[in-house]
This record gives sequence, structure tokens and C-alpha cells, in this order.
Amino acid sequence: MGLIPDFKKIATRSPWIYRINAGSCNGCDVEMATTALIPRYDIERLGCQYCGSPKHADIVLISGPLTVRVKDAVLRMYEEIPDPKVTVAVGVCPISGGIFRESYAVLAPIDQYIPIDVNVPGCPPRPQAIIAGVARAIDIWRERL
Amino acid sequence: MSNQIAILLAVLLFPGGVFALAFGLAMKGVDRRVAARLQSRVGPPLLQPFFDIIKLGFKRTMVPAAANETVFLYTPLVGVVSMLIAAALVPITSVYAPDAAIGNLLVLLYLLMIPGIVLMIAGSASGSPYGAIGFSREMALMIAYEGPLVLIAAAVAIRTGMGMGGWATFSLNDIVAYQQAHGSFLFDPVMWPAVAAFCFFYPANLGIVPFDIPEAETEVLEGPLLEYSGPVLALFKIMSALKKVVVLSLGIVLFFPAAPANLAAGFLVWLIKMAVLMLVGITAVRLSMGRMRIDQAFVFFLKWPLLLAVASLAVVVVV
Ligand code: SF4
Repeated sequence: MGLIPDFKKIATRSPWIYRINAGSCNGCDVEMATTALIPRYDIERLGCQYCGSPKHADIVLISGPLTVRVKDAVLRMYEEIPDPKVTVAVGVCPISGGIFRESYAVLAPIDQYIPIDVNVPGCPPRPQAIIAGVARAIDIWRERL
Repeated sequence: MSNQIAILLAVLLFPGGVFALAFGLAMKGVDRRVAARLQSRVGPPLLQPFFDIIKLGFKRTMVPAAANETVFLYTPLVGVVSMLIAAALVPITSVYAPDAAIGNLLVLLYLLMIPGIVLMIAGSASGSPYGAIGFSREMALMIAYEGPLVLIAAAVAIRTGMGMGGWATFSLNDIVAYQQAHGSFLFDPVMWPAVAAFCFFYPANLGIVPFDIPEAETEVLEGPLLEYSGPVLALFKIMSALKKVVVLSLGIVLFFPAAPANLAAGFLVWLIKMAVLMLVGITAVRLSMGRMRIDQAFVFFLKWPLLLAVASLAVVVVV
């Protein structure tokens, strides 16, 4: 039975990432896009790959304070992601609402609706912090496989 | 009996089955790595496509409520099996010659159409509007590139057949043997239009960037593959890896099968040709171009490759 754990270990080298924008100001999204794509921080070396479909995803990066208008769409999208999955909240918005915290249109903190595994605070967080968050998420994911 | 076993082994082990799968995935790994290096990134490990397949094995498969479950889950299997058989049809000079009963260019052409059809059926069975868009785009693209491919194949077959004193021969072994004896078609000016048409054809057939319109992830979210997850998605990845081996290998057979008679040297030469075809025709093209719109690609194919293919057929028949 030594094979299955080995395979699981190999499997964690291929985390596919999906981004959900829950009403973010786009600062975090730009930060996430550059983290993955630009040569300097290239997270493809961790085996990560952005995918276009939530059904292919393993790690979900959520940014933004969850506005009232996108809540249903976000929850539905979250349902579509097959288990085992790990959620990373990027930015302070999902934690507290950040600069939008007093708005009537905002439902933060986001973990009332979606289980969050890793928080990466910052407004927006540094790319290194996002990469560290993804690396933490991979560790959590290994236990869930 | 023994040749049935030989065919079975060819389908399951070498050059189909295990070998083609491993080789196709390894090519994908090299492709991603080289692409990353060209963009001065570090890039994923070379074995990344293998990790991806294993990872997908651990994920749950979800069937959308709107999908037809049987068709949705089983069509990718058809695609994988067709490509396994196709891989066993393509000769590798002085390493592998398919059984005369199966090594036929026409059979191969039919098998090569199956993955496209599988994608279309899968896309429409998933019940997703993006899948439907993928379906229509895949169909348009197939109509555009199948014509040139058939004409290219006919040009090669007629050239070989006339050279051997008949009219047309579709036996892949004969095509290889003829070129071994009389020099490869790549160096035969009469065949140059066909070579050029093939260079346009294979990125489209493999869904490489200027022509990856049916699966464009930025506009139709991977189209037919959108609703797939887990092991079934892995089947699609396996199918496209196998298809890459088959199509590139077919290109070598049609135009440049020359290789030393020695087994190891022949294999090495084949590997080098595959690598060159992949790096020049896939990696470099993929990185240096943007995606076409479906109408642009359609018109493009009906203009240049078709023209080249018709020209080559005409020249071959006349000369
Ligand atoms: S954390 Fe800051 S940068 Fe990120 S979405 Fe919120 S306001 Fe924008």
C-alpha cells in the first residue's frame, strides 16, 4: 500500500489555481496575475497553472469583500469546484472588508459563507506573501487528498 | 495468431500504449519547460504533465445536471482508444513497421478525425453553452483543415504509387520504403507545397495557439473541456498527448522518414526529428503568436493550405 501515499505526494506537485473575484478593487487580482505569470515570481515552478474552468481547480484564490451582488454567483462557483479543494483568501478585504468595511454593499468577513483555509493579508499583499499562501495551501491540500 | 498478438502489443506497449503515452507527456513537459525558458522563467519540472495526470486521478468527477451522463463520461474513452490504435499504425523507420493489415494511410486519416469528433460530442453532451460554442468552433476548424490533410495524403500516396509503377499506394510501409530508396519527399521540389501545407495543418490539428480556438480558455473557458473534472479530464489530456505523438510521427513518415538501418540509430534519429518538429512547429509558434478568430482561421485555411495542397496534388499528378 506504499504506492497510494507516494502518488498523493506526487499529486500535490500539480496544484491548479482558480481565481474568484468577489468584488475586489482589482488590486489583488493584478497582484495574483503577476505573481503567477511574470518571470520574476513564476509560480509555474511549483507546478501551478491557472485554469479557465472552476471544475479543473484545486486551489481557489478569492479576493474582494464579497459584495451583496456577487454573493450568489461566488457561492455557486465555489460549489462547482470538485473536492478536495483548498481556499485561500487574498487581501484584507475577505478578512474584514478592508477599505470597504463600512459599506452597506459588503458582506465581509467572507468566512461566514465559504470555509477559508489560508488568509493572506495585505492591501494588496506582496507577491511573496501570495506565493507563501499558495505553498501553505498545498500543504493543507496534501492532507485532504 | 502471432500477428494478432503483435498488433495487440503494438497497440498496448510500443509504439502505441505505454510508450506513446509516456513520450507524449514527456514532450508536453519539454514544451512547457522550453516555453518558460524562452520567457526567462524557471518553468515547471519536466515531469509536470505526469504529475497533472496523477493529480486528476485523485479528484472527484462531477457530472453537470444538464449533461447526458453516459455520453459525457464515455466519449473520451473512445478518443483515447482511437489514438492508441492510431499510434500503432505509424511506422518508425528501421525501428517499427506496422502489420501490413493495419498500416494504411486511409485508416489513419479516419482515426485522426476521431479526437475532434470526441471533443464535439463531449462539448455538446456537457449541456453547457460554452461547450456548444466549442462544438461549433471545433467543427468549423475541422472542416477547414481536413480538406488540406486529405489532399496532402493523396499527393504523397500518388507520388509513391507512381514511383513504384502503380497509381496510388496507401500503405505506410511502402511510403517509408519508397522514400528510403529514392530520397525523402522533403528534398523533392515537387512535394514542397504539400510540406508547407502540412506545416500549417498540424498546429491546427493539435490545437496549438494560433488555432486553439475551440478551447480558448480566455473566451470560452476551455470550451468542450469546461465541465470535465477529475479522471475523465485526465483522459482528455491523455488523448491529446497521444495525438501529438501520432500527428508528428505521421509528418515524419510522409515527408522525411530517412534514417540509418540500425535499430538504435534509427530510434535516435526519430527522436531528434520529433523534437525538432515539436520545438519549431509547436513551442515557437505557440509563443510568438496570438490566437486567431474562428472566421480568420477558417478563411486562412481555405486560402493558403488548401491552395498549397491542391497545387501539390496537381503537380504530383502532372509531373
Ligand atoms: S485588499 Fe486592497 S487591493 Fe485587495 S481587493 Fe481589497 S482593497 Fe483591493
